[in-house]
Amino acid sequence: MLFATRRSEAPGMTLEGVMGPNGRLDDAEGMSVDAPQALCVAGDGGLLFSSGNEVRQLSRWGAKAKKWAAFDSAVTAMCTSAGGLVAIGLRGGSVVVLGPDGKAASGWAETALQGHATDCAFASEDEIVAVHNGYVTDADFMSVAPWDDEARGQVISLSRDGVPKVVADKLHCPMGIARDAAGNWLVSLFERAAIIDIEGQTKQSGYPAYLGRIRRTAHGYVLACLARRDPLIEFLKTEREFVAEMKSAIAPRHWISPRASSEFSHDLPIEAGSTRLYGEVKPWAPSFSYGLVIELDDKLMPVGSAHSRANGTRHAISDVIEWNGAVIAVSRSSGELLKVGKAGAAA
Amino acid sequence: MAASIEFSRLPKQHVPRLVISPRRIVGDVLSRGWVESIIPFLALLCVVVGILLTTDGYFAVSNLLTLAQYTPDAGLVVLAMLIVVAVGGIDLSVGSNFAMSAFTALFCFHILDLPVPLVLIASLAAGSLVGAANGLIAGLIGCGALLTTLGTMITLRGIYTLSSQAWLVDISISPRIDDVWDWIGFEKFMAMPVAFWALLGVAILVFVMFRQTRFGWHILAVGGNRKAARHGGIQVKFTIFLAYILTGLIVGLSGFLYAARQNSVGSDTGIGMEFFTLTALVVGLGGFVPGRGAVISVLVGFATVYILNNALLNAGLRGDFVQFSMGAIIIVILAIDVKFRKHRHRLLASTYLDPIQVKIEPVAGMAGLMPDETAPKLKDAAIIGAGRVDGPEDVILDRDGNLYCGNRDGRILRLAAPDYTHVEVLAKIGGRPLGLAFDAEGRLVTCVAGMGLLRVSMDGAVELLTDQTDRSFFSIQDDTTIRMADDLDIGPDGKIYFTDATKRYDIENWGLDLLEGRPNGRLISFDPATRRTQTICDNLVFPNGVCLTHDGKFLLVASTWNCSILIFDLADLAAGPRVFMSGLPGYPDNVNRASDGGYWVALAGMRNPIMDQAMKYPALRRRMAKRVPPTNWLFGNLNIGGVLKVDGGGSIVDALWDEPDGPLYMITSMREHEGALFLGSVSNDKIGRLNLADTDRRWNGPRSYWGEG
Repeated sequence: MLFATRRSEAPGMTLEGVMGPNGRLDDAEGMSVDAPQALCVAGDGGLLFSSGNEVRQLSRWGAKAKKWAAFDSAVTAMCTSAGGLVAIGLRGGSVVVLGPDGKAASGWAETALQGHATDCAFASEDEIVAVHNGYVTDADFMSVAPWDDEARGQVISLSRDGVPKVVADKLHCPMGIARDAAGNWLVSLFERAAIIDIEGQTKQSGYPAYLGRIRRTAHGYVLACLARRDPLIEFLKTEREFVAEMKSAIAPRHWISPRASSEFSHDLPIEAGSTRLYGEVKPWAPSFSYGLVIELDDKLMPVGSAHSRANGTRHAISDVIEWNGAVIAVSRSSGELLKVGKAGAAA
Repeated sequence: MAASIEFSRLPKQHVPRLVISPRRIVGDVLSRGWVESIIPFLALLCVVVGILLTTDGYFAVSNLLTLAQYTPDAGLVVLAMLIVVAVGGIDLSVGSNFAMSAFTALFCFHILDLPVPLVLIASLAAGSLVGAANGLIAGLIGCGALLTTLGTMITLRGIYTLSSQAWLVDISISPRIDDVWDWIGFEKFMAMPVAFWALLGVAILVFVMFRQTRFGWHILAVGGNRKAARHGGIQVKFTIFLAYILTGLIVGLSGFLYAARQNSVGSDTGIGMEFFTLTALVVGLGGFVPGRGAVISVLVGFATVYILNNALLNAGLRGDFVQFSMGAIIIVILAIDVKFRKHRHRLLASTYLDPIQVKIEPVAGMAGLMPDETAPKLKDAAIIGAGRVDGPEDVILDRDGNLYCGNRDGRILRLAAPDYTHVEVLAKIGGRPLGLAFDAEGRLVTCVAGMGLLRVSMDGAVELLTDQTDRSFFSIQDDTTIRMADDLDIGPDGKIYFTDATKRYDIENWGLDLLEGRPNGRLISFDPATRRTQTICDNLVFPNGVCLTHDGKFLLVASTWNCSILIFDLADLAAGPRVFMSGLPGYPDNVNRASDGGYWVALAGMRNPIMDQAMKYPALRRRMAKRVPPTNWLFGNLNIGGVLKVDGGGSIVDALWDEPDGPLYMITSMREHEGALFLGSVSNDKIGRLNLADTDRRWNGPRSYWGEG
């Protein structure tokens, strides 16, 4: 555009109004889980969640979780079909399909993708659609993706014969996939903070967070957010020379980036406002890690939110799902499943 | 005992003699008061240059002398108007008053045959009388200044017309000639016309009045904020009354000078004068601004308008065209000035932060001692004074083991030994007490940010030792005032050495000094015997903790943003500092003696690779300060700190850390006292106390400095 100005871009959303700060995530009931990552609701109504290499089953909130399946490598994604099939993506790229009983489902060949499935969903009883965010290790992608110009993410279709077919590629760090009311696919992008369709058209952008998975609910959608967008990171994206030196000279762990953990560490940078006073970080302080679940309506506009602020620990929400009328979220920072309350409560 | 320090073997620390930066010069200039008047000055300059380029001989001596003869009466009226505008009023009657005063002078001189001094007094009295009438109605009674003076203007013009018509013929045929009268009107005194000296004298008097006298300040206070002035105990109405009288008096003088020069008046004398003076005033002040007694700016505005008008007429342009051009030019000047004033503070804010490239030595000597490599020893520290102290930047103990610390609210607190549960106020200082030290008499000397160096005796008496030092050689900003006295130590001869951490930022904004990274601080000495304050070394990078070495021969000074500790030889301070330690893992704050001949170094925060890299990108930090909200600025990690144990030669032997989320996170000070280490922090509400193993349980600070006492 010849006369493009900054004003021609849609203004970003801020953490105000329905996305104003609250303590819903910090106040939520929590259940400690070792290395949780993904969630899905099984055909029998139980909740399946991943814990490292295992998938566990929860019959109701407060009950003791039972081991449901175990694998050689970490679980990266899960989804269920209407018929009760459960697809599980593993680190390394395998996608395994199990029956309602936790045993391997018949008629499904094990598929090996180029990279692991970051999220997946059943298109039908015979087809799974998976997204891969383009990064091999899960530990570093939050550090690396904000500074990566290359879009390596893919949407891949899998059928029973085990042959993957790339449906869409060159997506920038896609994190989640869900179907809209009309049955079209929606993909959430981490760093672009946008939701797009399978053709790459932006459906909605400007979310105030770096997005994780998106899930359909009875009222619309819920969006798991891995961290909130940070003005310093957004500013440094324009500082090419600095970023180039950072990438070449410093280990990704120390890069300035959204983080999955709320811990203090002597070798990580901070922002001026997050300096402790009397030993405490103020809830309104800036932070590179944050806990945020956004409830969206059918048009992908926010109608409610749940927060864990700078002084909280329930940060880096990787997955969220509606289960028995409540919103269940996964906090990677605190290693917990959270029962946030009724979906649409804030609407 | 302490290892002796081989000073001459240590590497020299480069200290710039002069810090010159265009951005800083602009910033410093913009923060000066006289910048307010820069646009009228530039306008005058443009007018002068324009005339020089287009008119030959305008600035020849003869023409300048003519100007000096004819302009002063209008100049005086401008000054008179300034006084009444400064008090918050306006005087439209100056033109009529001017004419009436001139007529009074002529009447007294030619008709009444009074001697010239009496004529002068009569003119002044006539002017003052009109001023008193204005002051009475507008000031004391409280009718509006505009209406009142409009009324006196019309009334007075009527009286003037009547009386001048009645007497003009008699005046014009009067044969009286007087040497003094002609001398005032035509002669020169010291090469300049008498009227010029009158203008200069009045200008100086008005300048001094606004700057130095109580009455002048009252005028500005009333003009600035009438209600506040009344609450401040100023007699508002009476001040306004007096201001109008003073205005009338000066107009009277102006009329007298006019009469002496012209020896006649006409029906148009003084007509339009009020608008001319208001124009000059508005150009000089950049608007109609009450509460501002800017004499020089107003005279500059007057010169601009007068010379412009005069030059245009001289150039042979038609009168109406001159008026048209004058109006247009004045609108342009005013528009530029108003815009400049409006944006000056933004311009200043965007140029004040002046970052520089800083390369910090890589971390050295910390193998196995970093927080993630060693057990958190401060975890075992007891917490004292929790919630009852606020920001104890420095802590110190007396011979009896009582603990003293500064508090955010400007008090010095005492926590009584041995259990430190009883907190009492030793002294109320104000400011923000930071560094503490005991002198030989057992009095507490403290560095107070925003105040300077103070001494507190044990009965709570507070005495200011010094708050000013020498002005640095090249500085636009006056830097004599000690802005952020930070830490101190006292030499064996009683001389006090202390740091002024930054000359450019105050205690609330000291973090900006990190983003700047420039050498903004200095080391200062104060000799209680002579009460002389002296800058020992200027242009240090955030000089913070100060510690006298065990042998009393050297001074250790922490350079916080450089992550290093400098050393000065007290016997040869002019030689400048050398580097005692560099490549510290964090930002050093206070340095204090340890019982084994070594030193404790407090780390207020930790370095990290990103911040170290950002220090190499000054332009990035400047852009960040402009575009990113301050709360999101990249910053040194002050959420984790610790204490380094250093031997007498400057090698790190141990490091004490708390757990990453522990209560002792930012350590700004520590004192060893009889087997325990007390830890203070400028941002904490608690003090840590760690029992040390294998140390001399008899050793304490006062004994180390002053012997058994």
